[in-house]
Amino acid sequence: MELKREASCGSDERSDAWVSVRPADAISVHIASKTGPMYEDRIREVVEGTLRTLGVTGAEVEVREQGAYDHVIRARLLCALKRASENGEAFRRPAPIRVAREGTPKGRLRRSRLYVPGNNARVLAFVDVFGPDCVILDLEDSVPPAEKDAAQFLVREVLSAMDFGDTEVWVRINPLTRGGREDLEVVLLGRPHGICLPKAESPVEVAELAGILYELEGRYGIPWLVWIMPIIESPKGVLAAPEIAKASERVACLAFGAEDYTAEVGCERSWEALLWARSGIAAAAAAAGVQASDTVFPDAEDEEGLYEEAKRAKALGFDGKGAIHPLQIEPIHRAFAPTPDELSWAKGVVAAAEEAERKGLGVVSYEGRMVDRPVVLRAKRILEMARAMRMEVGDAA
Amino acid sequence: MPRNAVGREIPEEIQGKPLRPFQGAFATVPEGRKASPPLKTIRPGEDKVLPSLEEAIRRVGLSDGMTISFHHSFRNGDLLVLKVVEACARIGIKDLRLFPTALFPCHEPLIPYIEEGVVTRIEGSMNGPVGAFVSQGGKLREPAVLRSHGGRWRAIECGEVHIDVAFIAAPTADPYGNANGMWGPNACGPISFSVADSWYADKVVVVTDNLVPYPAIPAEIEQGYVDYVVTVDRVGDPGGIATGTLRITRSPTQLRIAKLAADAVIAAGLVREGMGFQAGAGGISLAATDFIAQEMRRRKVRAAFAIGGVTRFLTDMLQEGLVGAILDGQAFDAQSVEFLREHPRHQIITPGFYADYNSRGCATYMLDFAFLGGTEVDLEFNVNVNTHSDGQLLHGIGGHQDVASGAKVTIITIPTIRGRIPTIRDSVTTVTTPGEVVDLVVTERGIAVNPRRPDLREDLKRAGLPVRTLEEMRAEAERLVGKGKRPVFGDEIVALIQWRDGTVIDVVRKVVGWE
Repeated sequence: MELKREASCGSDERSDAWVSVRPADAISVHIASKTGPMYEDRIREVVEGTLRTLGVTGAEVEVREQGAYDHVIRARLLCALKRASENGEAFRRPAPIRVAREGTPKGRLRRSRLYVPGNNARVLAFVDVFGPDCVILDLEDSVPPAEKDAAQFLVREVLSAMDFGDTEVWVRINPLTRGGREDLEVVLLGRPHGICLPKAESPVEVAELAGILYELEGRYGIPWLVWIMPIIESPKGVLAAPEIAKASERVACLAFGAEDYTAEVGCERSWEALLWARSGIAAAAAAAGVQASDTVFPDAEDEEGLYEEAKRAKALGFDGKGAIHPLQIEPIHRAFAPTPDELSWAKGVVAAAEEAERKGLGVVSYEGRMVDRPVVLRAKRILEMARAMRMEVGDAA
Repeated sequence: MPRNAVGREIPEEIQGKPLRPFQGAFATVPEGRKASPPLKTIRPGEDKVLPSLEEAIRRVGLSDGMTISFHHSFRNGDLLVLKVVEACARIGIKDLRLFPTALFPCHEPLIPYIEEGVVTRIEGSMNGPVGAFVSQGGKLREPAVLRSHGGRWRAIECGEVHIDVAFIAAPTADPYGNANGMWGPNACGPISFSVADSWYADKVVVVTDNLVPYPAIPAEIEQGYVDYVVTVDRVGDPGGIATGTLRITRSPTQLRIAKLAADAVIAAGLVREGMGFQAGAGGISLAATDFIAQEMRRRKVRAAFAIGGVTRFLTDMLQEGLVGAILDGQAFDAQSVEFLREHPRHQIITPGFYADYNSRGCATYMLDFAFLGGTEVDLEFNVNVNTHSDGQLLHGIGGHQDVASGAKVTIITIPTIRGRIPTIRDSVTTVTTPGEVVDLVVTERGIAVNPRRPDLREDLKRAGLPVRTLEEMRAEAERLVGKGKRPVFGDEIVALIQWRDGTVIDVVRKVVGWE
């Protein structure tokens, strides 16, 4: 690969690296590392290995880093090289798989979804430890237009390098009409579990996204179905929610985004003003058999307010809620926890269903009432949630 | 070379002086009697006030090879150490042994005086540049000696360190030598670090910029111990007391650590009426204390006392009635100094009251729990607070050893990765505090329980807290950042790390290269 001009990427923030590349006859690498000689050789290996993989034979590389992890340095270098070579295509090849990741069940627990800015190396350095049900690496609102490519590479490298354990990892791309497709081509190389589609307003966009995902899963060898979470954040979106929820089998969850919605409607950000939208989204999700996740609570300091709002969202039928700060995760999980009454009801229903199955009965009844299959599923879900929260469930299935 | 009880090689002697190896946190049984200062008298009408430091230096007979001592109550705003050393240099005195409680980045200008031989030995904490300089090796005639707050008091009391002249920066003093740090335009809070110095030094010089008519009360430093009083333009800058860390952290990682640490304390059943705790001034420690305060309000319980470094977070708790008393050895902000003047339940304590091993009672022994930090921990739960993983000596011990020894539950809060450097090591670069007095290590990845405390492990498990092993957390961190190269240490010893009883728990060696 040939470099056409000088280019750089990154910052001098903590845990970040600033990397510049310029055309030259041979490879030379200059490193200024905050940790002195401790990681210098390793950084050199990362840089030289990346250049070799891309077939770059002439480049003067300067790395100035503030305790950046290898994958951050690689991301910054890749983006600088992309900018210098003016050749994005060359970077759309599968990266070596560094962490084992498996697909997730469509109906798994999604009580909390934590948004993390996709171009912030400092915040991303510890993104694997907070234990939300879903983490959403953001390429959209938190990333300025000039840094979209930098964020694409950083998110892709974070996805490839970090083990998120039981947390499901999602990427919020830009709308398909505004760079979303390019986002997908880069970040799917990191094999996320799902993609959040912002400002979803029609089933056509969702279907288009599903098509791209199908194509890229094949090209990049992703062995699972990448889920879609359309984010409904406009009145038009709420009106189209029933169709959006059904637009693809990949839609696992509808999310609500209240910020843009209130601005567009011109309403307050009060419970009453948003009630119609919330109810509409919860009903549309339920009708399509998918989950619904409530909007974020904007005040990270107000734990009680968050808890109350999450309880009300749960009462409306939501399965989870967005978070903008890791400290919001615990109150959200607490709010979505089954109550003792729900728990004992769920245990009873599941036990009755098992009993019926053992006896070969087609009909399940509990406390003298017939129980339909969706009710059994709901009961099972409650138990599953209780178990995930380490609540005492007993032997019930 | 023999190894001590934490497996560190400790030479039997250095330059003819024998070293006692660390044998366990409470292994030493003291013998003998306390040191005794010379007897003196004074006649009515004698004047102690001198016009300048130079004059005081001449009158006390300060000469080559002597030991001079200071407190660090102004922290990074100290002015006196440099003033005295500069005056000594002008007079032509050399080969001084410096015995401050601690040095800070503001003392970087000492370095030329070390190079010129005015100061040739240092016994005291070195935070920042002076420590980095000493780490280079070959700078001091003898290895530096680092002691905890309690350890320094003990060293003076038993005669291990003989102070020739104690210089005491006093925000308020009278002409007879009574002095305190509570009043005056440059009040800094307690100056009780210097109390032992005043009792045991051959000569005592009080230096003030606020000379008040007799009597200056309260007399933290008492007239009967003071030889001379000197006035200067400015005794210190209280602006240097606050270290910049005095706010509750907003960092999600640090908040997570703080929350886990507080949850662990709650799970262990320690948030109860009459408890005592130590609150540090670091961001994590403040946040953890804040979480504890919230729990105290919920449960409507009150702590009997808290020990500082005192900040407004503690004085606010006292005012609210959450804390019954503050035992204050050191002020960390202006509000706590103000409070000291006004609130009868906010009391100054000396390091002897706080932490002296050779005493019949330490305030730290009354602690139920304490949050402490560190630069590294290892798989044996040993903690390093002195050096960084690159071998540089950059921090003092403070009260770390004293508090860890005393508290029923000692909690080390530390992120698994700092900068890029993993903090959980096979073996810490320097052992400051042995694993035998550390109960929990709390990181953003979970809580490790010392195997000596199966009871705590049970409590934490029952509360559903993420109990992990140090090995697991280390593996996760190292997978992200890699191991990194380690420094290679030479034979030269640049500093001794004393345990609070005067034994040597570790030595700091000069870095000669990288593996």
